[in-house]
Amino acid sequence: MALLGGVLGLDTVSCVQAMISRPIVAAPIAGFLLGDPVAGISAGAVLELVSMNQLPIGANRTWDTAPASVAAAAIAALSSAGAVSLVVAVGYGVLVGWIGSWTVHVMRQSTARLVAARGDQEPIPASALTARHLSAMAVDFARATALTLVALLLGAPLASGLDLSGATAGIAAAVLVWVCVGLALGSGVRMMAKGRTVVLAFTAGLLVSTVLSLWLA
Amino acid sequence: MIQGSWNYRTMQGAGLGFSLIPYLSRLYRGDRAALNASLGRHAGFFNANPYLSTVAISAVARMESEGAEPEEIERFKRALVSPLGSLGDRLVWARWRPLCSLTALLLFGLGAPWWVASGVFVVLYNTVPQWLRLWGLGRGWWNGREVGRVLMSSPLRRLPDRLTIPLAVIGGALLPPLALALGGTSSVSPILVIGAGLAFVVLGYWRPGFAGRLAALGLLVGSLVFVVLEKSPW
Repeated sequence: MALLGGVLGLDTVSCVQAMISRPIVAAPIAGFLLGDPVAGISAGAVLELVSMNQLPIGANRTWDTAPASVAAAAIAALSSAGAVSLVVAVGYGVLVGWIGSWTVHVMRQSTARLVAARGDQEPIPASALTARHLSAMAVDFARATALTLVALLLGAPLASGLDLSGATAGIAAAVLVWVCVGLALGSGVRMMAKGRTVVLAFTAGLLVSTVLSLWLA
Repeated sequence: MIQGSWNYRTMQGAGLGFSLIPYLSRLYRGDRAALNASLGRHAGFFNANPYLSTVAISAVARMESEGAEPEEIERFKRALVSPLGSLGDRLVWARWRPLCSLTALLLFGLGAPWWVASGVFVVLYNTVPQWLRLWGLGRGWWNGREVGRVLMSSPLRRLPDRLTIPLAVIGGALLPPLALALGGTSSVSPILVIGAGLAFVVLGYWRPGFAGRLAALGLLVGSLVFVVLEKSPW
């Protein structure tokens, strides 16, 4: 699982960027490997919405979604406390993602020393440039793998011990998830697009979908 | 792999140099000093949207092949940073990726199997960035130093605005099925659940920065509370 976090972590920035590191993909894959892809995608769906408004533009620091998704999926898949598991899994994923963003920050500082230590515009042999570039990718892989490993080791006791199956806890957790999903969706849509047309289009989609959902339900 | 050594000093610079190695090695075959000098120049500062950086890679390769002066190539690279960043970031990060995310979430909410929701995201998302990579490679090579003008008149500039309406429609359509998927076993009326969700969507839309942080913090604090409750002896 830690290696999965490392491989998916490379996809975030360093290599390919096919976005298999996004929670909507990474979490169900991790859940599938742990035997419960549905728990994985449930945690991944909430994490995807909550992290949607973070854009990797320039030097912006965004959550490291790959280790976060693997850790969240592990907790969701290995515990059986319904909505409570979902809240703990996503909350833990947010924490891991945030810590991950700091490890990326430190790595980028050390990468600057690794690849830009020489003076600007100084000649560099192809072999040296290749070695530095690939070393930086290896460091990113090791960072994401180590972070996922630590997150899984620390998260395992959370997953195995969760047994809050009471009705009150379940309702409180479900309400919390729904509130956060609503906030994240509104925030995400506004960060990408705004204006009267957007509000009208959102309302149209909502009305059609509500009618269809209630009709089919 | 242009972002493999992304850092705060040269950003994608080393990656640009790395990407040019196969072409420059052929161009400067037998002249190791010229190759090293060229790579050294290209491994300096550079940054762009990663999917559109192919425009710069191929345009720089073309200029090198035409024997352009190093200072001219450097000015050209610096001039490309802003348009390539702005065009690619608006299109891919601010529109296309959220649109694909919302589509996958809508499928999940409608009850599609997990592999369909995830698979659709991966396939749908990658159509645009991978096409952009190929498009950029061709445009940069064929237009060389004139590629900036091509970018200015490209229909790609209008595409982000055209994706706004679909993004909003899918965002709105997502709420009811997600309410039913996440609160499927709830005995509360679905209309009430959707209405409550909509109230928080409005709050999120009204104060996006605050609401985004509040959602993350709510889940973090909520998870802590549940763990403490679980572990407490009472």
